[in-house]
Amino acid sequence: MKLFGKDVTAKKLLDVVKERLSARGLLPPSEDAGLDRDVEAPVEAFAFAVESMSEHVDTTRGLPIETHRDGLQGRAVVLAKQTFRKVGQLFINEALARQVVFNGHVLDGYSQLSAEVMRLRSRVAELEAELERATTSPKAPVLEVPSVKAAKPAAPKTKAAKPRKPRAR
Amino acid sequence: MGAAAVGFQRALRHVGITGEVFAGEVEPGFDAIVHHASKLRVDRDDLVLYHHGIASSLVAKLLHLPCRRGLVFHNITPARFYAGTRLAEPLVTGRAQLTAMAGHLDVSIGVSRYNARELEAAGHRDVKVVPLLVEPERFTVAQADGSMLTRLKKLDTPRIVSVSRVVPHKRVEDLLSLHQELRRITPRAQLVIVGGYDAGQAAFKALARRAKQVGNVTFLGRVTHGQLVAAYRSADCFVSMSEHEGVGVPLLEAFASEVPVIAFGAAAVPETMGGRGLVFDEKHFAALAELTVQVSTDAAVRAGLVEGQTERLKDFSLEAVASALEKALPPRRRPTPKKRDTRRVAFVVQRFGEFIVGGAEAHARQVALKLAPHADVEVFTTCATDHLSWKNELEPGTTRDGPLTVHRFPASRFRNIRGFNRLSDSMFGKPHDLVGETRWVADQGPTVPALLERLVAERERFDAVAFFTYLYQPTVYGVPLLADRALVVPTTHDEPPLAFHLFADAFEKPRALLCNTPEEETLIRERFPNAAPSTIVGVGIDALHPDERRFRQQTGIHGPYLLYVGRMEAGKGVAELLAFHQQLVKKFHDAPTLVLAGSGELQARGSRVVALGRVDEQTKWDALGGALAVVVPSRYESLSLLTLEAFAVGTPVIGNTIGAVVRGQLERSSAGVGYDDERSFIAAVKEVGERRKDLSRHARRYAAKHQWQTVIDAWLTAIDGIKETKR
Repeated sequence: MKLFGKDVTAKKLLDVVKERLSARGLLPPSEDAGLDRDVEAPVEAFAFAVESMSEHVDTTRGLPIETHRDGLQGRAVVLAKQTFRKVGQLFINEALARQVVFNGHVLDGYSQLSAEVMRLRSRVAELEAELERATTSPKAPVLEVPSVKAAKPAAPKTKAAKPRKPRAR
Repeated sequence: MGAAAVGFQRALRHVGITGEVFAGEVEPGFDAIVHHASKLRVDRDDLVLYHHGIASSLVAKLLHLPCRRGLVFHNITPARFYAGTRLAEPLVTGRAQLTAMAGHLDVSIGVSRYNARELEAAGHRDVKVVPLLVEPERFTVAQADGSMLTRLKKLDTPRIVSVSRVVPHKRVEDLLSLHQELRRITPRAQLVIVGGYDAGQAAFKALARRAKQVGNVTFLGRVTHGQLVAAYRSADCFVSMSEHEGVGVPLLEAFASEVPVIAFGAAAVPETMGGRGLVFDEKHFAALAELTVQVSTDAAVRAGLVEGQTERLKDFSLEAVASALEKALPPRRRPTPKKRDTRRVAFVVQRFGEFIVGGAEAHARQVALKLAPHADVEVFTTCATDHLSWKNELEPGTTRDGPLTVHRFPASRFRNIRGFNRLSDSMFGKPHDLVGETRWVADQGPTVPALLERLVAERERFDAVAFFTYLYQPTVYGVPLLADRALVVPTTHDEPPLAFHLFADAFEKPRALLCNTPEEETLIRERFPNAAPSTIVGVGIDALHPDERRFRQQTGIHGPYLLYVGRMEAGKGVAELLAFHQQLVKKFHDAPTLVLAGSGELQARGSRVVALGRVDEQTKWDALGGALAVVVPSRYESLSLLTLEAFAVGTPVIGNTIGAVVRGQLERSSAGVGYDDERSFIAAVKEVGERRKDLSRHARRYAAKHQWQTVIDAWLTAIDGIKETKR
């Protein structure tokens, strides 16, 4: 165990604590604990949404039955919920049938869109990386050849023969 | 998060930015300070700052708003603490939404560096940190609920206090384990847990059973602000066992309550503590119990910890929050000030017009008219004629009132005076948090957001902006918005709302306070020691020539009479005056008639009582000139204009001396007699009858000192002072 605090001598305070524990015949805290400085891992939005929507697409399927009450009261609540579902499932299915179809279409549409967005994002990332490479990498080696002007061709040194006039016949 | 949003709103005012708070759910009674999110309408240049925690449908709305968008992240409890419960999914969804928002925002803000790191991990770029507002003034002993403090102080020591909702990640079971170990060392030790719980919940029942076994544990549940302060202030030590905090506001509240803090260093806790208090990294309960005893009993250790903790609070002050917000938000375009030779002044007053007789509003008009030859004066006011409801009865827009330009803005909310009085009765004399006080000020009104937005937009047109009366919303919200050029004429009374800390914005932030009397100045300094520099300015009196005969002919009043001019309201002491006068009439056959001039809710009835209703200016002066004495029955005055007007025509005053201001005016003038009960009222009437000539001479001499020229010179000095040294 470590103590952190700049307004007291934390080590001295911890030594007093250890002394007292020792006097009481108790084990001291460990020496190797430490603060966990990591933040929580992010959740990828598209993947999570597709997964969560898939989980809940069938609205006729109930969530797990639970209660925050304990004892007899809790058991009574669970029993009441189970009974309601058993008795009413037929009607629940009937009432929510269209919702289930709608949810299916929404899920399909969303997953296609999200897949497309992810593909495009990854393509944009590739293109950006290529652009970055092209603009920041050292110049590519070039052949040491004289440059050739793409001008009009030079006139031949020999005098061109005049076209002969056609003979009169 | 609601409290944080209100805190940010206040901090934004301190950097000159106006704004409103919207929420997905609005608790009943809070509609004065929070609007439902469905009412949100934006312009392209607006910035919407969305406060995010658990999953919310507001994210979808935010991402499609056609304006600039920002996020304030308050963190989300990791779902692992709620695995297998229905809460787990909205917690994960909240994190998924956090990722989804990345790349679609103009600004991302974490309320701690820890939260900012989570934002960065979720793909947000250029993340800023803005701390939450913690005001130590709200956690002083004076703010503690007396009966709760006495109750808790009766408990044995050491008293350990922890503040958190009773939910899994706060680890109340670990507090109980610590307490069990603590009781092995000091059997009389007490554990007090403050925070909401569901008494019917299985998890809480299990905790309660264990607490009973351990002994000396008190669950206080949800408490008022005063009770919360009492709990902190009763503690020998504050302990947190929480395993996840995005900030940990109770730690800072304990700092503000001068209690040493020991906390498990989870998530943002070490950062929040900033090296102050004590942070531990292992839940070794026997060791922690020894540590708690040491911290609770060793005076030197306590003092060292408390001193450091107090120092740390500076990082959460209003100034720190406002400064961090200003740096975090996208830069604003500010018009460049134009140099002018003439002075230009804006007056902000809750009602304005010739129709208002007496009070701060009439005072404002008088000053504006007198100032007009020396400066361009523009008045910013409401469309209300009725100060109880603030109903829009006048046309909005710009008109002229003689040399003055008057801009009227409609109130966006009206006051239900009965409901407001009930709210006031429930709040006065008790401590409150910022949200409670903001609610009172918002309910008080008048709510005219367009007025403040216009003033902020046109701020550079004015050398000074003068706010009249500290008590109303335009002053409390407007002064911090325009602090660099704000003057306040507070017209302070010794009245219950003066105890609200939110009014510090009106008293501490302007460039100067223009007071009416030395008593008012003293009252302000006592209540707000850091108040802005103040000057006693007062008012001048323009007396019309009084004609007593004309008044008697008009009204048919014969014989001596006492006169009251003003609003016919119980709050002005009129009911008490009527009761005392009836006793006078019973005891003396030649008791003077009581003449009342003014309108209001109170019906004046009784023997030798004449109620004239509202009278014109000349009739008022005629009545003043002929009265045996003028009666000033109000206890709450920052300056009694009626007293000065009576003195100007040589009429003595019988004044209620329970209020310091009237008492001071009578003492300084020697031109009146005071009363504070029925007996002294009767004695005062007799004395005035005997010494009227003498009192009248003193009255004229005192009134001669109150000249408009002196008043206007003081105003011009204040305005030029701002003009020369703009902060």
